[in-house]
Amino acid sequence: MKSEDCKIMDSECHLNRIENWHNNFESDISLMIETLKKLNASSIEATEECSRHYTNTIELTKAKSSFTFEVSHELKAPLASVYNIINVILDGYLDGDINKQKEYLNRAKLRIKSIIDLLNDLLVFSRLEERANELEKEEFNIAELFASIIEEMTEYADSRSIEINWNLCDDCPLIYGNAELIRRVFTNIIHNAVKYSRHGNKVEVTGKIDENRFLLRVEDHGIGIKEEETQKIFDIFYRGENTRRDSKREGIGLGLSLVRRIVDAHGGCIKLKSKLQEGTTVEVRFPEFQKEEK
Amino acid sequence: MPKEVLIVDDDFDFVETTEIVLKSNGYETRTAHDGEEALKKVMEKVPDIILLDIMMKTKGDGIWASEQIRSKENAKDIPIIMITAVNQDADMLKFHFEKDVGTDSSYIPVNVFMEKPIEIKDLLAEIKKLIGTS
Repeated sequence: MKSEDCKIMDSECHLNRIENWHNNFESDISLMIETLKKLNASSIEATEECSRHYTNTIELTKAKSSFTFEVSHELKAPLASVYNIINVILDGYLDGDINKQKEYLNRAKLRIKSIIDLLNDLLVFSRLEERANELEKEEFNIAELFASIIEEMTEYADSRSIEINWNLCDDCPLIYGNAELIRRVFTNIIHNAVKYSRHGNKVEVTGKIDENRFLLRVEDHGIGIKEEETQKIFDIFYRGENTRRDSKREGIGLGLSLVRRIVDAHGGCIKLKSKLQEGTTVEVRFPEFQKEEK
Repeated sequence: MPKEVLIVDDDFDFVETTEIVLKSNGYETRTAHDGEEALKKVMEKVPDIILLDIMMKTKGDGIWASEQIRSKENAKDIPIIMITAVNQDADMLKFHFEKDVGTDSSYIPVNVFMEKPIEIKDLLAEIKKLIGTS
C-alpha cells in the first residue's frame, strides 16, 4: 500500500513537474516570440533607416551633380557670348562703326560682371556651407548700413521708373553679424522687388523693431509668383515660372537661396508671401544685438 | 534670292552677334528667343536653315522645338544646327531621342551639333555645307 501511495505521489509529482516544465516552456516560448517580434521590428526599423540614408545620399548626389551642371551652364553661356563679341570685333565685322564697337564691348563687360557676381555668390555659398559658425561678426548699426543701401537701390529703381517708399525706424537697433552679408540680404530682397515690379509701381520698404527683433518688410505690387512656388523659390537656380517667361528679367537665381543661408547663419528667419500678378511681400527678421550674445 | 537663316537662342548677345556675322556674309536673318516663337516664325515662312539653342529657359526648349518643326510637313527637311552651351546638352538630347524612338538610335532630328563658343569660320562652313553660300 505504501508503495502504491508512493507511486501515486510519484506520478503526481511527475505530473506537477511536467506541468511546471510546460508552464516554463510556455513562458520561454512567449518570451522568445516577444524577442523575435522585437528583433523583427528593430530589423525593419534598421532596414527602413538604411533605405532612408540611401535615398538621402542618392538625392544629395543627384542634387550636387545637377548643381555642377547648372553652374557650368550659367558660366559657360555668358562666356561664350563674350567670346562671340570679341570675335566679331577682332574679325572686323564692326569696323568703321566705333559706336557699335563700344556698345558690344559694354555688353561683354556686363556679361563678365555677371559671371564675377555669380562666382562671388558661389564662394559665399560654399563658405556658409562649410563653416557658418566661423563667420566674422561684429555689432553694427542698421541705420548706417541703410544709408548706402538707399542710395544704391534708389538709383536702380529710378532706372526702371519704380518708386521706393522707405519707412525705416528712427531708432534702429544694433545687430550682431556680418555686415557685408546682411547688406547682401537687404539689397537682394529690395533688388528683386524692383526687378519684378511693373513700370510705375511702388515698392514699400519698412524697417522696424518687432518683438526684440529687427524686421525688414519689402512689399511690391509686381508680377508675383504662384503660391505653390513660394517654397521652391529658395532653391538654388530656381526661378519662378512667371519670371522665366521674360528673358529681359535676367538673373540666375542663386540670389534667394543664398539669402536664406545668410539669414539662417545669423539665427534669423525669412518669409515670403506672394500672389500671382498681385505682388510679393518678403519679411526677414534678425535678432537684435544683446551684450551677452557676444 | 539670298538664303535665310533663323537664329533661335534666349541669349540676346549671341543672337545679335550671329546676325551681324551672317548678314555681312550675305545671308538674310530672322530671330526667335524661345521654342514657341521659333515655331511661329517657321510657320509664317520656312527658312533655309535654323540655328537652334537647346537649353532655353523660356517657352519651349530646343528639343521641343526641333520635334515640332520636324512634325510639320513643309518644314520637316529644313537643316537644323543644334547649338549647345554645355557638351552634356548634346548627350542629353541623344538620350532623349534614343529613349523616345526605341531601337532606332540613329534618329536625331538635327543635322549638326555645335558647342559654344563657336568659331565664326566654323559656323559659316557648316551653313555652307548644308545650304550652300548665300
